[in-house]
Amino acid sequence: MEQILFRHNKPERCVTFAEYKSEGGFAALKKALAGMSPDEVQQAVMDSGIRGRGGAGFPTGKKWSFVPRNLTGPRWLICNCDEMEPGTYKDRILLEANPYSLIEGMVLACYAIGVRHSFIFIRRGYEQAATNLRRAIAEATAEGLLGENILGSGFSCDIDVHVSAGRYICGEETALMNALEGKRANPRAKPPFPAIKGLWGGPTVVNNVESLANVPYIIAQGAQWFKETAATPEAAGMKLFCVSGHVANPACFELPLGMSLGEIIDGPCGGMRPGSSFKACLPGGASTPYFTADHWGVPMDFDPVAKAGSRLGTGGIVVFDQQTCMVAATLNLVRFYARESCGWCTPCREGLPFVVHTLEQIESGNGSEEHIAILKEHVKYLNYAFCALAPGAMGPVDGLLKHFEDEILEHIKTGNCPCRN
Amino acid sequence: MIPTELKTKLQSRVSAAITNREAAVDVMKALQAHYGWLTDEAVVEAAELLGLSPLQVEELATFYEMIYRRPVGRSVIHVCDSISCWAMGGESLLSHLSGLLGIKPGETTTDGTFTLLPCCCLGNCGEAPAVMIGDTICGRVTVENAAGLIERERNR
Amino acid sequence: MPKLIIDNIAVEVADGVTVLEAAQSVDIPIPHFCWHPALGKAGACRVCAVRMMEGPVKGIQMSCMLPAQDGMVVSTTDPEAVTMRRNVIEWLMINHPHDCPVCDEGGECQLQDYTIAGGHGIRRYDGKKRTHINQDLGPYIQHEMNRCIQCYRCVRFYQEYAGGTDFGVMGSAGRVYFGRFREGQLESPFSGNLVDICPTGVFTDKTARFRARYWDYDMAPSVCPGCSLGCNTTPVARYRELLKSIARRNEAVNSWFICDRGRFANGEVNDPQRPRTPLIDGVESSRNEALKALLFRIAQTEERYGTGSIAIVGSSRLSLEAALLLPTLAELTSSGALCYFASEEESGRTLPLFQLLTAGRSASQRDVRESDCIVVYGCDPLQDAPMLALAIRQAWRNGATVYTVGDGISLPCDVTTVDRLDAVPLSDAKNPVLIRSAADIPDQLATTLHQHDHLKLAVLFPAANSYGASKLALKHLGVSFEQAISSGDIKGVISVEADIPQKLLEGIPFVAALDWRMTETVQAAQIFFPTTAWVEMKGTFINHEGRVQRFNKVMNPGVPIRGLDPAVHPPHIHRTAPPGGEPQPAWQILAAVIEGLGGELITEPFTGEWERLRGLDAECEGVIINDI
Repeated sequence: MEQILFRHNKPERCVTFAEYKSEGGFAALKKALAGMSPDEVQQAVMDSGIRGRGGAGFPTGKKWSFVPRNLTGPRWLICNCDEMEPGTYKDRILLEANPYSLIEGMVLACYAIGVRHSFIFIRRGYEQAATNLRRAIAEATAEGLLGENILGSGFSCDIDVHVSAGRYICGEETALMNALEGKRANPRAKPPFPAIKGLWGGPTVVNNVESLANVPYIIAQGAQWFKETAATPEAAGMKLFCVSGHVANPACFELPLGMSLGEIIDGPCGGMRPGSSFKACLPGGASTPYFTADHWGVPMDFDPVAKAGSRLGTGGIVVFDQQTCMVAATLNLVRFYARESCGWCTPCREGLPFVVHTLEQIESGNGSEEHIAILKEHVKYLNYAFCALAPGAMGPVDGLLKHFEDEILEHIKTGNCPCRN
Repeated sequence: MIPTELKTKLQSRVSAAITNREAAVDVMKALQAHYGWLTDEAVVEAAELLGLSPLQVEELATFYEMIYRRPVGRSVIHVCDSISCWAMGGESLLSHLSGLLGIKPGETTTDGTFTLLPCCCLGNCGEAPAVMIGDTICGRVTVENAAGLIERERNR
Repeated sequence: MPKLIIDNIAVEVADGVTVLEAAQSVDIPIPHFCWHPALGKAGACRVCAVRMMEGPVKGIQMSCMLPAQDGMVVSTTDPEAVTMRRNVIEWLMINHPHDCPVCDEGGECQLQDYTIAGGHGIRRYDGKKRTHINQDLGPYIQHEMNRCIQCYRCVRFYQEYAGGTDFGVMGSAGRVYFGRFREGQLESPFSGNLVDICPTGVFTDKTARFRARYWDYDMAPSVCPGCSLGCNTTPVARYRELLKSIARRNEAVNSWFICDRGRFANGEVNDPQRPRTPLIDGVESSRNEALKALLFRIAQTEERYGTGSIAIVGSSRLSLEAALLLPTLAELTSSGALCYFASEEESGRTLPLFQLLTAGRSASQRDVRESDCIVVYGCDPLQDAPMLALAIRQAWRNGATVYTVGDGISLPCDVTTVDRLDAVPLSDAKNPVLIRSAADIPDQLATTLHQHDHLKLAVLFPAANSYGASKLALKHLGVSFEQAISSGDIKGVISVEADIPQKLLEGIPFVAALDWRMTETVQAAQIFFPTTAWVEMKGTFINHEGRVQRFNKVMNPGVPIRGLDPAVHPPHIHRTAPPGGEPQPAWQILAAVIEGLGGELITEPFTGEWERLRGLDAECEGVIINDI
């Protein structure tokens, strides 16, 4: 199978600068700076159909196009590498194997949007990836591929690496901008949207690592080629799926968008681990409603997954086998979100602990039917929180109520966890 | 008091920043690396370096999971408690490590070597359950190999 | 001017007004905690949910975050919106202690009100409540973090609005904590506003703790006498004790806030040493006896030393009502001097600046807040009139440039220091304001004002009614008392709330004093009349810009019940006035003296050109006078 982001990968080590260049790396940058206008680069990205790989799936080229072209003053590009959504580790795998695609993609994005200074906001714990990126930045700068007057084109841009200190909310794009500015990472009100008023008040684009790393290949090989690497005509491009949980071979794979869930699990994942059978999975990270065996054939692409009642999210597939208690799994997920709330708005700060408490009561055998009503109410009303954290946290609860209400009722009826005993 | 060399280094980091605040996390982390944790003294020093008040540094320091405002051991063992590791036995790993070290989560061994902390997803879900010892992430940690990892870190 | 419909009522509001404010404008109250008119939107509490039925946005929305737009149809009664608001209250009440009976905020607590109004009554959460350790924040503010509902108003006021750096928010998620790095007194000179803006009982006024409930308060609209700005307040009293002051909104003056100096200034009113009984040669007497003695000694002095031997002395802290009667008294006593200032120094730093305040020239606090260029020249606003420093900060936050002429002035904002006034690019500014407290070089100032028609002037005068005193001094050709005695002819003084230093009274055989404070002048007086403090009377001050403001009577004068010896309280003898209840407004005592001297009985001090001030409402923005 063709690989895009993983095509330069070397076994057990990071690709070198020389290898990356000799295998066609930075050709896209040369092509763009030699013969393409910024608008043409943006148009190519738009034509490729690539949708943001960080979770929300917003078309990348469209996001760029929101930045007003005629404003004076600095504008910014931020690469969001605050990959802290449980079950998601694709960006780390990518950057530990190859930091150069991202660097090249960022320079192309800066060129398209007219950015002089860009940032990579990287989470705590990804120190190896940060080291790789710093090295790659130094190498690229030394070769004139980054910094002043890149390749003699007159275009200049820098990349700074900012390593965070650990908080999931920093991955929310407006919270990320506050974090980068050295403020408490509370999300900001929208509008104004970052493309108009973002980092230090300037127009700002925030893109995921994987989205940006794909840009060089779109430019080098064409938007149409990129689009067609997907498994279905509706999908566009390849996607990093990082799989964890009870499969035989949990790892990160680059697969065509639109492959079905079953094909992914039975194919590269090697099926379920011995003794396990599939019960459910989170299809796209910790904030997505569960898929069950009924969803085996759903094409893993943004719209089909949404149509099936969940979200493709980050592509982090967490698989649970028949022994997993879905109440306990959901409790674990909501506990994470309750702890990672920034504390700004009431529904998130107070509502999530309420949900945790309610799930604890059910899981410990002290549940009642009223608890189900409380959960349902929270699934609805946490949507009116300030940012997407609390609604995301309710994704799995929504899935639990939709697909596993019997399991909840069994907890309540027997006063026990049926999976534990 | 931080050594002059570190102070100079951090001063240049601050002056290279777009705004002083932008360097806040880097300064706090450097002082934490120096003291082992972000001591009260370090908060005051960070404030001086950044041109902020100690309270304004505290506002940031207490926001982040990996800035320690209480003493920790020489090595912090972070045990991921998020969903993938939970599915792969993270809870029993944490209680096993707790037994091995003789401390509860959140505590530090009496010799000051280890602090055991549950933490959120370390981004090593494919190799769950995962722990981070110091800055090193370890995957597929089992009851069998956990003791070895701890010994290796103890003798480091 | 967007037009929208809220609960079937058509509303038209100004651009930029939120849906929440639009609803308020037609008396539809939407609950809110984090939103505050002076602090703006935060979107944190989520209790102002409404449903947008039609228009550019649909569905459940936070009304504080949404600017009103044409075509919006809003429902505040939509069941889902009502449930959302009730849920928010339920979430907040998960951790809020049920300690209303022992909470000082009880009865004036927004959370209490909205909990009742929102219909959350049955507790579904049966887990433990979160608890915090409180901090000692100094002598003025009590901290009770367990009650916190995390609306972030306090930190937004303290850091963003007021520029404080020693108080803020720490932690994250359910662990957020609002406090200081270390225990200790809050450093901001505006810290007391935390008490006013906290929607529940996290910050309460420590000086008035557990003294009274809201429904028992004696309170009325008043004006702070602390400096010449005339910030609006609501003093609160109970059992003849002034307990505390609350900031009162006046958009032209102090907006929503007051300074700590003005707020925590109850001591003088409640002072047990405060003179409360008429005295004749140090002996307590009745009002009538004192009046008789005063009339006798006025006649005696005139007889002994001749016409023109008596000086009538008012002050810049004296209410306008009393100040207006002084010329009549001067006339009837054939006095040699009518004085509104005790010293030459005070007269010298008040009158020249007053004369520069021609029509349209003087700047209000609102003018300062809305200015794009501020020059602080020869004064220290944080010391002289703290609220003006807060107003300067708001201008700076809105993008104004703040200049200080000369070094050494600290302000709660960035400043550009210049060494000369003409180094400030005043011509480039749209609505510049110059701030000044003493005019040692009024000529240069006059020239600058002459050159820049659009330059407004904010003068920091020494006291609450300096403007009124100046106006009367100029009109009646008053001189300072210091100057009046230089001839050696003055042998008697009637001091009306004036602060005449002892040394100026040396060699003057007859001194009478009216005052509510124990001053050097009172101590030197042979005849003394106690007057009411500003909270014990209805009165009027003219603030620094020429704004006439009425203050109403908050409480009856009298010795506070607290601290009374149980042997004398309750009183065992029949009396019509409470103990210590003799003080009267100075103008009423003056009216009695005037009547005693053969003048007409005065029942209304505002006559002639001043008549239009009679009905002035204490709750209006005040009226600017510069044509009287």
